[in-house]
Amino acid sequence: MDIGEEHKGDITIVEIKGRIDSSTARPLGDKLTELIKAGRKRVVLDLKNLVYISSAGFRALLLASQLAEESQGALVLCSLSSEVQRLFDLGAFTDLFPICSSREESLTKLA
Amino acid sequence: MIAPSSTINFTLVIGNTISEMEKVVARVDQFGAAHGIPNQIINDLNLCLDEILNNTISYGYDDSGSHCIRVTLTLADGVITAEIIDDAKPFDPRQSTPPDASQTLRERRLGGVGLHFVHALMDRVDYVRKDRCNHIKLHKKLYV
Repeated sequence: MDIGEEHKGDITIVEIKGRIDSSTARPLGDKLTELIKAGRKRVVLDLKNLVYISSAGFRALLLASQLAEESQGALVLCSLSSEVQRLFDLGAFTDLFPICSSREESLTKLA
Repeated sequence: MIAPSSTINFTLVIGNTISEMEKVVARVDQFGAAHGIPNQIINDLNLCLDEILNNTISYGYDDSGSHCIRVTLTLADGVITAEIIDDAKPFDPRQSTPPDASQTLRERRLGGVGLHFVHALMDRVDYVRKDRCNHIKLHKKLYV
């Protein structure tokens, strides 16, 4: 899994390429925690190039989302493929995260 | 195109640590590419293997010793089958645990979601306890 990072003002865009599973969930969780604790608490997670996510990955996202909210910030997900959206729906996670169809929509939501 | 009567397989043995799991992902990806298996099926299979293996490694052993987990992938008659054999505590993945109402909404969503994915994404899940080992089989048809 590759993690890309870009800043737009005080919003951080984190892009994932690959899969979020038992092997990669911790590095992603650590990255999101590091950003939020450093004050970069408004985060867009761009999942356009996410292949799949397992329950370990969902756990990491839920923890990061919780931390962002406790820090008066937010974690917004965007650009889910239909295959990944299927996993969110299967796990009933769709209503636990703000999900946008694009980066632009995410940036507007966080503005 | 694979002849219907031929069987192709591989077996991989890993240790009982999370860091070993990426070997399974890589080998399954390689197997899928070599035999023209659709990406979606390989991804679903890798996700389900992640759930089963993580569960075994995280909760299956009461000691801190090293244990082997054997993963065999078989492609035959248009069906891909993953068999996981481990000497962990008895665990039947066909049983689902009802949600714990005392947990938070988020905790409740995570508990059991791994097995839910396995049952939703695979066509069939078999289990037998034999010679003090768990034998789990995941089956997925290549073509509907």
